[in-house]
Amino acid sequence: MDAIELVDLTKIFPGKKGARVKALDHLDLRVPQGEVFGFLGPNGAGKSTTIKILMGLIRPTQGQARLLGTPATLPQARLTTGYLPENPAFYDYLNASEYLTFIGQSFKLDTTTIAARSETILHRLSLWEARKRPIRSYSKGMVQRLGIAQVLVHQPEIYILDEPMSGLDPIGRALVKEIILELKAAGKCVFFSTHITSDVEAVCDRVGVILKGKLQTVQEVGTLMEKGITGYHIRHRMPGQEIFKESTIRPEELQVFMTNIFQSGEEVILLEPLRKNLEAFFLSIVSQGSSNDQ
Amino acid sequence: MIKIVGITFQGVLRDKVFHGILLVAGLFLFIPSASAFSMRQVPQLAITLSLSLTSFLLLLLAVFLGGTSLWKDVERRYTHSVLGGTPISRASYVLGKYSGVSLFVMATAFLLGVLSLAAIWFAAMAYPPDRPLLWLNILIAVFFDALKYVLLVAVAFLLSTVSTSFFLPIFGTIATFLAGSATQNVYDYLQTPQGEQLSAGVKAAALFFYYMLPNFSAFDLKANAIYSLPLDPGGLLLTFAYAAVYIAILLSSASLLFTRRELQ
Amino acid sequence: MKSVALLAALVVVYAALLLPFTRHLRQRPFLEKVGYLPQPFILQTLAADQRYAMAAGLIFNVLAYYGTLVEKNLFGADIPPDHSTMQTTLITASRLDPYNMDIYYFAQSMAWNSNKIREITELLEYGMRYRDWDFYLPFFAGFNSAYFLKDYAAAAPHFATAARLSGSDLFTRLASRYMYEAGQTGLAIDYLTAMIQSSKNEAIKKTFQTRYAALLEVRRIEQARDVFRQKTGRLPKSIVELQDAGVLAPPPGDPYGGEFYLEPDGTVRTTSKFANPSQDNQ
Repeated sequence: MDAIELVDLTKIFPGKKGARVKALDHLDLRVPQGEVFGFLGPNGAGKSTTIKILMGLIRPTQGQARLLGTPATLPQARLTTGYLPENPAFYDYLNASEYLTFIGQSFKLDTTTIAARSETILHRLSLWEARKRPIRSYSKGMVQRLGIAQVLVHQPEIYILDEPMSGLDPIGRALVKEIILELKAAGKCVFFSTHITSDVEAVCDRVGVILKGKLQTVQEVGTLMEKGITGYHIRHRMPGQEIFKESTIRPEELQVFMTNIFQSGEEVILLEPLRKNLEAFFLSIVSQGSSNDQ
Repeated sequence: MIKIVGITFQGVLRDKVFHGILLVAGLFLFIPSASAFSMRQVPQLAITLSLSLTSFLLLLLAVFLGGTSLWKDVERRYTHSVLGGTPISRASYVLGKYSGVSLFVMATAFLLGVLSLAAIWFAAMAYPPDRPLLWLNILIAVFFDALKYVLLVAVAFLLSTVSTSFFLPIFGTIATFLAGSATQNVYDYLQTPQGEQLSAGVKAAALFFYYMLPNFSAFDLKANAIYSLPLDPGGLLLTFAYAAVYIAILLSSASLLFTRRELQ
Repeated sequence: MKSVALLAALVVVYAALLLPFTRHLRQRPFLEKVGYLPQPFILQTLAADQRYAMAAGLIFNVLAYYGTLVEKNLFGADIPPDHSTMQTTLITASRLDPYNMDIYYFAQSMAWNSNKIREITELLEYGMRYRDWDFYLPFFAGFNSAYFLKDYAAAAPHFATAARLSGSDLFTRLASRYMYEAGQTGLAIDYLTAMIQSSKNEAIKKTFQTRYAALLEVRRIEQARDVFRQKTGRLPKSIVELQDAGVLAPPPGDPYGGEFYLEPDGTVRTTSKFANPSQDNQ
């Protein structure tokens, strides 16, 4: 059973003056357990709409969304899921500690478990000092970190994070990436949306690109990285010499070049693959998508 | 759902609206001296003023808490994290929020009732009444007043579930309150000779609203409390049942509408 | 800095306006102050569940207005009260809170100065339907019928009701007195004694006391007149004649500032008509 299952998902919003806006267009996607999936797309591509359907906040016009086999429209689908909304907001009159307790109790956790987990999580997300202050007084980054915290407290199987890095400083971003990798190691499924390609590169197993409500492509991030190599940059020198040489070669020349180097007795100081990064890949898809459109 | 009740109650307690209303409740201090203006019925005036102030404060609470509580959660997208992030159903959310607000209205009514009794007691000490005061009547009047506002909160919730702005919940609730308080009066007018002369269309419309809108005048037991008039237990029971059924209908509709609502 | 100066200037203008503004409000006639009240039905409908408080508010308005006038008149300002508007306001208040005793009490306290005794009595009868335990309303109504309207047939059942509700013999005594014209003054004095004793409001008490003092003087003159008639077998022509005959001493004084005189049939009257001079007496 897949963790996330989107079948023929279509969402049409009523627009102004009777116009209809197609936010999602026959989207099919399966994400298995244990995978970290990056959902990449420009603003307004349909990422949040997809996620809101997954969390039962809105209903699809057509098609189905399922979480571990349970239709997303049912509240029990969310028993095994943690959700971080985009620009989250939490009851601002509570403090972080109270909010985590509230979430824990909604999942019927006992008080000691909640207390123990809250303490670990609040420390981890640097909210411990602020835990007794009302959320009203938090900065945007703190609210975002509380958003991550409230996803972790009930230890679900699936984590659905809408723009988890937004509003975070570099330290916060690094922390979130670290947490995602830990979840992956623990065999959990993480599905997150972003428009920043480097986030995907760092943590994702697979990436899906969505554009104007259509899923353009789904790729293994590893394969994509390999496919993207356009050549190598090599720095090498004769042993004992101060001066080194630099060479740039095409991928198919690598074998021959390296053999030559070893035969001449030179040492390799640096070997750097040159590649079209994920951003370029993403941009090419976006530009293709736009040109197809016209 | 119990969790939502608790969270809502806590939220109201920390709300500025509530603090403002508490401040206004300080007016109870002036009731004994204000009642001395009466020529012939000081304790009665104290009861009138206490019940009126209680009713007014509860009306403010009902309109502002009822009208904004659910609406604000949707508007500020608290519902996204709670309804998207937990297995709490939409229906339990509505019922939980409603119970929280209603419980709060009832608790405030109790508090104001106690303040009323104190104010009336002081006035009655200084100017003994001609007829013995019926304290139980006063308490029952406060209870039914609170019941009326709990019903009004349900109206506010129903309006909140369909509205994306606070205009409908707030002004719709106020309008319902005014209309619901007036229907009995209009109905009684229709029975008079002048009323009989009205056109059939007007009469039909008036009757429609009479049966459709909540009839708040039934909950007004102020005369019984102020002038120690006997209460009719059967009538009270009927009024209570009326409120219970009306609230149940409103809340079922609210849950139904809220479950279907798209939380953008 | 500029905006602070502007704000300061506005506050000064506000303060300057405040004085004439409040003076204007203070000097507005009563009708304007109470406002033209809408139909009781409209008020009932709009008052929602605050009708009892609204009634109390209307009564307070009337009372505050009347209290201020009494105070002013004590200092010789002599501004006639607007009885008609006060009465309309009270009737409206009774439709909002038919149980409110202050309404009936205050309406009745205006009886001497009002030409609308019938309306006041109707108001009392309306109140009796609600305050069915209260002997004051039939007492007032009976007194009005007997004293002002001379309608003894109407008065009798009211006094009977009052006697039944109160268990007091005062009403039985009143009932026996109203039967003859000579008893009128005594009836009024008894009524006023009861009213003054139970009066709590200073303005109203003052009104009653003045009337009471005047009636005591009337009774004194009436008694002197009766003594004079017994002695001489004819009616006196004037107060002076009574004084000269030595049956009336000291000379009577009208607390309203008028002069007592005798009608040809011997009835005692005063030039003040039992009202402050400038007042339009009915």
